[in-house]
Amino acid sequence: MRLQPVPSDFEARCNATFDAVMWALARPGVMRDLPQAGLAQVVEALIDRECAVHCPDEALAMLARRTGAELVAPEAADHVFAETVTPEMPDRLACGSDLHPEDGATLVAGAVFGAGQRVCLTGPGVDGEVIVIIGGLPGDFWQRRARAMRYPMGFEMLLVDGARLIGVPRSTVVEVL
Amino acid sequence: MTLQTLTKPWEPMSYGFLDGSAKREIRRKMIKAIAVPGCQMPYASREVPMARGWGTGGLQVSLTLVNPAMRVKVIDQGADDSVNAASIRRFIARVAGTPTTMDTLEADLIQSRHRIPEEVLREDQVLVLQVPNPEPLRPVQPNMSIARQMHADADYGRMWLQLYEQIVRSGRVMQGASYPSLVHGRHVMTPSPIPRWDVPKLHMAKHLTILSAGREKRIFAVPPFTRVEPLVFSDVPYKVEDHAGLTCHRSGTRGFFMNEIPQDDGSSVFEVSDSEWGVKAIRRRDGEEVALGETWYKNGKMPS
Amino acid sequence: MAYVATRGGERAIEQSQRLFKAEMGEITPERVAEIRAAMPYLIDRVMGEASLYDEDLAALALAQTGGELYEAVLLLRAWRTTQPRIAVAEPVTQEGLFTHRRISAAFKDIPGGQVLGPTMDYAHRILATEVLDGQVHRPDPVEPAARPSPARQPSVAAWQAENGLLTGAVPDKTVGNDIPDVTREPLLFPAKRAHTLQSLARAETGGVLALGYAAQRGYGQAHPTVNELRLAEAEIVVTHPRGTQFSAGRVKVSQAEVVDKKGDGLRLGFAATLGWNEVKVIAAATLDLNAEGAPKGAPTEEEFFLYHTEGVESSGFCIHFKLPHYVTFQSSLDAMRDAKAQKAAKEKSPEPAE
Repeated sequence: MRLQPVPSDFEARCNATFDAVMWALARPGVMRDLPQAGLAQVVEALIDRECAVHCPDEALAMLARRTGAELVAPEAADHVFAETVTPEMPDRLACGSDLHPEDGATLVAGAVFGAGQRVCLTGPGVDGEVIVIIGGLPGDFWQRRARAMRYPMGFEMLLVDGARLIGVPRSTVVEVL
Repeated sequence: MTLQTLTKPWEPMSYGFLDGSAKREIRRKMIKAIAVPGCQMPYASREVPMARGWGTGGLQVSLTLVNPAMRVKVIDQGADDSVNAASIRRFIARVAGTPTTMDTLEADLIQSRHRIPEEVLREDQVLVLQVPNPEPLRPVQPNMSIARQMHADADYGRMWLQLYEQIVRSGRVMQGASYPSLVHGRHVMTPSPIPRWDVPKLHMAKHLTILSAGREKRIFAVPPFTRVEPLVFSDVPYKVEDHAGLTCHRSGTRGFFMNEIPQDDGSSVFEVSDSEWGVKAIRRRDGEEVALGETWYKNGKMPS
Repeated sequence: MAYVATRGGERAIEQSQRLFKAEMGEITPERVAEIRAAMPYLIDRVMGEASLYDEDLAALALAQTGGELYEAVLLLRAWRTTQPRIAVAEPVTQEGLFTHRRISAAFKDIPGGQVLGPTMDYAHRILATEVLDGQVHRPDPVEPAARPSPARQPSVAAWQAENGLLTGAVPDKTVGNDIPDVTREPLLFPAKRAHTLQSLARAETGGVLALGYAAQRGYGQAHPTVNELRLAEAEIVVTHPRGTQFSAGRVKVSQAEVVDKKGDGLRLGFAATLGWNEVKVIAAATLDLNAEGAPKGAPTEEEFFLYHTEGVESSGFCIHFKLPHYVTFQSSLDAMRDAKAQKAAKEKSPEPAE
């Protein structure tokens, strides 16, 4: 009587997006493919009325608002979506507390892969070390990130270039080469 | 805003049972769990059509991850045919239309209660462990709020003291399953009630492990290539169960974790706990062509 | 795949479920309707613990589980999981409740009067065995009072606050979607006020009674006086996206205020739940009254009683011990045998013989 359950297009896209996000953070520095280009699909997969979101870009902010999320300043946001990362952003993101590391933010941002700074990643999820070339971030971004976080406090990064994704969780140590 | 924008086409049941908001919450918490390995992340943990304590935490993670292309394997105490494993497998297949398998090599997602399969998991596989009690500190501190503060302070002195007392009293660490382990050098975690035999399989593994306690509403993770070190003193080494020399009386396989079956004459026979490994060994013995994966243990020893 | 068929699990499960259902026979719409009509207090209890107000679904859950209460509540909670949230209702106020019963043990009479309403309190508990002999037990008709009691009345605590006997609760300005919801976020400690009251509202009646009773007997610091116990109906007012407010219907609610008389002012404990369930709200309000300053690990400590009165969690965990645990058992046996062998080896050996 019951037909084979089939996910809607929306459900299938959110599922695939999260699969990429999950593996991106489980294997920092290893590039993953998103179902389509851009940050919007990450909003769809993660955000709803239980979230506080910071979003400088108008169109994305509209989308986030439609999910029911509250639009807030970066300091109060659990998720930040930014096509372009600004220099002061690492200092303004929530890092949680020792008691509640889960309160650290997730930053989803545009970046350029294959051009820019060469960085070496080590930490959980990295088999030894991995070197990636990431551009489109402010010059001293990685130094600022390191200064802003004290593990297990910190924030997660999902960097998106077109339909490609690289994850950098707070547990990853990033060295600029 | 109109009512229309708030609604979606009617469905008798959400794909994968959980509705979108439940899935999004679990996704957000899984991100944090992966980012801080071994640290317990609180989540809302919705009620599912199964009793609390019966794998509802693992089930919520599986239901969030599944899609129609994902092959799912479910085991309980190492066995695919255990009644509760069968019940969970049937439920996932029914609400998500997923293909199921018993072969560890074929599975994309493995939900397990109390065992890690004997065949090495690959880097595209997810292991979801059901967790009855997520708090390794509970034996020394039953109050969750105080235990949380102890994790925040990395205050594990009482944990060490408890192990030391066991050595003084009994000559060895008496912890059976759920052996407390330090993850990424920072958070002490329970690996769930897997035997000590299985804990080394989490250390620097290739696969991703998600641990989820539905009743206690906590989710935590061990990403690939992450240190998982059982708490031991340098002069009292970690000891897995003494099963290396036991032989399965049904499949003849040897050097794996065994179930002891008491016999009428007072003796015991043993059968391999990873039931599908046993089945594959029998089929191969009977001349069938069966793919056996590489195993973590070789000749009963875990290569270090 | 040939091995799948020869493995027993699936068939055994199927047949065990058939055995369970066989005892109850057919579930018909008539049976569900009869349960709903005949057992309003059972329906209320189940709806309260499920935190889902729907009498038909509650009756169906009872019919489907043969009255296994824990199973019925779980069934409703699992169904609740699948339902979208369409709107958040306006806050319900005590003085706005359509009141059926309202009594106070603190004063002989109270503004608005002691309204006894429906109760078994003063009934002689004698079984109507004549029914089993074939007679119909027909309740005597209710005789309406000449002057009906006012349907809406302020709380007793409000009067006490006005008279400086009690520091009234500070109004919480949080509205709508911002009100913390324990079914959508985890319970953490110290608990948000909303989470505490929500957890008590959906707690298991027997569990709340056991711990509340322990506090009442003396394991708590405070001795409760029932300031006000109220059974009422609450209007559920929601806002249409166009902005119009309308009533989506009424739900039965119970609420209790208990006060402690130590010190220089009264202290208030409060609980409320869906459905009419007096034992639960008095016991829960007692726990609420005792929570402040309770020592860690005491039954009156918030973390202790909120965790241990969660019926779906506690009953689920209790029955999970039926599941096989032979891997963990084997692991412990191994450690035990090894320790024993080491001890025996030590006793036998190296001390040189005299």
